[in-house]
Amino acid sequence: MPWTSLLVIVPFVAAIALAFVPRGNRAAGRTIGIAGALLTLVVSIVIVAMFNRGQGSMQLVDHVNWVQSIGLSWDLGVDGISIWLVLMTTVLFSLGMFAAAQRLPQRGNMFLSLLLLSEVGLLGLFTAGDLVLFYVFWEFMLIPFAFLIWTWGGDERRRAGITFVVYTMVGSLIMLVAIISTAMIARDHIGHLSFLISDLHGVPFSSTASTLLFAGFVLAFAIKLPLWPFHGWLPMAYSQAPIVVTALMAALMSKAGVYGLLRVGVPLFPEGANNLLIPIAILALIGIVYGSLLAWRAPTMRLLVGYSSLAHLGFIVLGIMVFDRMAAQGAVLQMINHGVVVAAAFTIVMIIGRGGGTEDMDKLGGLAKGAPRLAVAFLIVAMASLALPGANSFVGEFFILGGVFNQYTWMAVIAMLGVIYAAVYMLRMYQSTMNGPVKGVSDEGRACEMRRGDALILVPLILIMFFIALWPKALVGATQASTDRAIAPAQVAADRPAAQIVPSGVITGSRP
Amino acid sequence: MATTLAWIILLLPLLGGITLAAWPGEPPRATVRLIGIGSIAVAFVLALSIFVNMLGNAPTDRTFTSNLYEWISIGGTSLDLSILVDPLSLMMVLIITGVGLLIHVFSAEYMEHDRDYRRFFAEMNLFVFSMLLLVLAGNFFFLIVGWAFVGLASYLLIGFWYERPSAVAAAKKAFVMNVIGDVGLVLGAFLIMRTLGTLDYQQAFAHADELGQNSGTALAVCLLLFVGAAAKSAQIPLHTWLPDAMEGPTPVSALIHAATMVTAGVYLIVRCHAIFQMSELAGQIIAVIGAITLLMAATVALQQVDIKRVLAWSTVSQIGYMIMAAGLGAYSAAMFHLLMHAFFKAGLFLAAGIVIHALHDEQSLDHMGNLRKYLRVAYFGMGMGCLAIAGFPGFDAFFSKDDILASSLAAGPVGVFCWVVGVIGAFITALYMFRLLFRAFWGPDPKGGYSPAPHPSRWWMAAPVAILGVLSLVGGWIQVPFGWSGINDWLAPVLADVRNPIEPSNADEWITIGFSTAAALGGIALAWWLFAADPERRIRLANIARGPRKVMGDAYDFDRAYDDLFVEPGRELGTVLLDDVEPAGPKGLITGTTAVIRDTARVISASENGLVRTYAFGIVAGLALAGVVLAIVVAGAS
Repeated sequence: MPWTSLLVIVPFVAAIALAFVPRGNRAAGRTIGIAGALLTLVVSIVIVAMFNRGQGSMQLVDHVNWVQSIGLSWDLGVDGISIWLVLMTTVLFSLGMFAAAQRLPQRGNMFLSLLLLSEVGLLGLFTAGDLVLFYVFWEFMLIPFAFLIWTWGGDERRRAGITFVVYTMVGSLIMLVAIISTAMIARDHIGHLSFLISDLHGVPFSSTASTLLFAGFVLAFAIKLPLWPFHGWLPMAYSQAPIVVTALMAALMSKAGVYGLLRVGVPLFPEGANNLLIPIAILALIGIVYGSLLAWRAPTMRLLVGYSSLAHLGFIVLGIMVFDRMAAQGAVLQMINHGVVVAAAFTIVMIIGRGGGTEDMDKLGGLAKGAPRLAVAFLIVAMASLALPGANSFVGEFFILGGVFNQYTWMAVIAMLGVIYAAVYMLRMYQSTMNGPVKGVSDEGRACEMRRGDALILVPLILIMFFIALWPKALVGATQASTDRAIAPAQVAADRPAAQIVPSGVITGSRP
Repeated sequence: MATTLAWIILLLPLLGGITLAAWPGEPPRATVRLIGIGSIAVAFVLALSIFVNMLGNAPTDRTFTSNLYEWISIGGTSLDLSILVDPLSLMMVLIITGVGLLIHVFSAEYMEHDRDYRRFFAEMNLFVFSMLLLVLAGNFFFLIVGWAFVGLASYLLIGFWYERPSAVAAAKKAFVMNVIGDVGLVLGAFLIMRTLGTLDYQQAFAHADELGQNSGTALAVCLLLFVGAAAKSAQIPLHTWLPDAMEGPTPVSALIHAATMVTAGVYLIVRCHAIFQMSELAGQIIAVIGAITLLMAATVALQQVDIKRVLAWSTVSQIGYMIMAAGLGAYSAAMFHLLMHAFFKAGLFLAAGIVIHALHDEQSLDHMGNLRKYLRVAYFGMGMGCLAIAGFPGFDAFFSKDDILASSLAAGPVGVFCWVVGVIGAFITALYMFRLLFRAFWGPDPKGGYSPAPHPSRWWMAAPVAILGVLSLVGGWIQVPFGWSGINDWLAPVLADVRNPIEPSNADEWITIGFSTAAALGGIALAWWLFAADPERRIRLANIARGPRKVMGDAYDFDRAYDDLFVEPGRELGTVLLDDVEPAGPKGLITGTTAVIRDTARVISASENGLVRTYAFGIVAGLALAGVVLAIVVAGAS
């Protein structure tokens, strides 16, 4: 079975089917939407089960030559970097479907259909082994998200949608140019035109070409992430989109940018990446502090989580860009952690917003009294988000910063500001809504209590957090080989001591 | 065997807490008590059994490690979930579970009128678990986890009455201060990982030499670890959260903010003494910070009117003694005082708890007086505690404080400085503690009398106070100068690798005993003259030294300085970024672009009504076509 291809085919078919369900038949729409997402989840579980944890290269590859003359091929596969992203995507979309189906908006079938299409884009992107395919899915993901904002967003959805589209289009056009240039330049080395990432590995670009191509790709990634100062679309899009969409964008779409760095940018252009290491790291550091300060002052919970995301992604980018094995593996783990935690955080925003009628923190207070169960869940999520030692996100953060510290001590010290601020703004969000005198709600805020449908979404997310916190090895064991492989060329380019460049292999013992 | 029991000890409070939290509906109070107290009691008994077993082993054979599983392997470093059971950690486990048990029993009555009885015990059990993890952890990573978890439990319990804005603010302050400490600890761990290649305690300590004696790296590691210690143990400049932490219920103050958690910094230094002795300078800096803290806090305590705040500042001051000792390398003396402090300070807090409970949440000394007539048990506990903390001959801190001071005297010029500060501190300690005792328990009833009269407590509250009161006397007899040295002997296996152990001479001992006894008696006498001999004298002298006393009363204005230096500028900057930079900067980049495409946008929005579905369908249909083509290609190819 071409399992990896099924990963994009199943949600795609479900999305098409949804488009043909009559507008009035919401029950059928729900069934198809949820079934499509769950079926995709099953496919991804099969893929995880078949995955060989020790292997660094792509596996379970479905390869079909498409248009041979110009080197196009259908090439999907997974490796250690993408395996958990794939699983997280299918899990979060399943939960997102449940959430969306519980409060289906007008034209709900179309809403669910577009959600599934965005899942197709993400899964395709995370499995693409060919640059053109990568680009197609990159764009594919944009369209449904833009429509979801444009049609079902808040009062300023038009502006938010346009801002979002303009920003990402600019990035992706430059990326398209970079992709074509890459293949053209690489043709001499490979002997024929190829867009296969595996073919392009190890192509010796000149230093200038490598830098320019890397920059081209990174611009697109930086906008998608977003990396400071390319985040102009974020506040509008996050606050205007329907909250399920905001959660999925923050949890998954942001990972598309990080993933691009690890899949394409750093491995294909190690020299360019090394040349731009310091500038990008500085942008990431600014983003950490900038996002934290904004999160501290943001008026609504949604913006707070959105800006905190800007800071958290700064950590992940930093972890990748310093080309340290520990930091990079921490970053890969942190992609999952951030996705799970931010999805849970937006779920909580959703619950509070629904029960309290506002997402404005200053207008609410004391909800813990009427909603004690939500308070517990919120506290766990808040602690995970601020990366309390012992929480899942601390595992990633600790090893990211540990690796950064090994390479550039000053960066780790500056990044620590973000760690401190995280406590300040997450506690602000928790305390101003949950603690203090009851405010802004009737009946002590019982309407904000977690319902069974909410628990169906939050409890799995929290269980995942606990699992990762208790046994991160389960995840890291699978990501190690591929991550080492992705950053090894950049480590060579950065003249790291040979001892640190171990492309794969088993590491035992805690002390050399 | 020992480690299996230790794992069980670690898990019991966690299971207790989870059971309480997850109990469906509202469990009966008796059940809450049974689970909450029972889990700690069993843990204490098990800890005692390890202790007895360990006594049977040769001193060199009292260290055990145990790995539960490999937790992660990343970038060349692997980490196990491991624990280390040795005389030092066992001593801490005994304190945590033993004093914890007494305080849990006390809480059963103290909290009985609270609607969140179950939540209280769940959070207290979470704290005990976290604290046990902190002391039992076998590597720096899980030390940090325990370190942060006690911070979380402390946050939850300070903010236990979460409707009160002051409690909420205090909880946040404590949490953020402790995160600053965590950052120091984490950076210290990074530096250890980088230079020694491991986070495992025993490997790191065995190779601590590789840091380089008195090297810059050693200094940096020690000072970074000390940032963590200072935050947790409320040492200058990270001490400001502890007095505010008194917003929590009194048993919380007794357990977390007096007996156990706040002494974690001392434990950290003693645990990592192999690292700390690599930098003499770091040790001296730490000792001086401890000395300044102990003096500063003692003077602030003099001016407090809130009974719990007096005790809070006295905690800061007493931990200053321990940190000073640990910095100078008198590890065993520091641990001795830690143990004695756990007895008398828990006793003092619980006695204060009886008072507060009896006076219906009144905490101001101005509204107290003559309580010895009403609250005999509290008077006994408070009296014993005061005699102990003041260092009255024969009481527990007389021995432990003298141990610290005599060791200081033997520890070079910095030590002599610490000794002088310590003796002055001892005088002020006696003064402020007996001020509290005399003002609350002696003299006449407060103006207007008590209405209703203070009600004595039942045995749940009385028994722990009585036990701790007795321990405040006899506890110190475990180690008597010129007699025997129980603590030194017990910790000897852990401290065997200390290179220059401090051994005070007989002269050091006698000089210290002389001066500190004089300081204690002098302080008590002055307190008696000021507050007991003539209750009106205090009022007549109210105008003396107003300026300095105001400075002390304001706790030297650290809070305001921090607000002005860090909080407000950050807040301002955030606001400016949000209101001015965000709209103008990055968003401005595309304002131009959007202007260009505004026409397009208008066209779209004009033709939008009802057409989005069509658009979407068009796109979907196009994609479907592409999909079909794709399917054919795939089918054809395979």
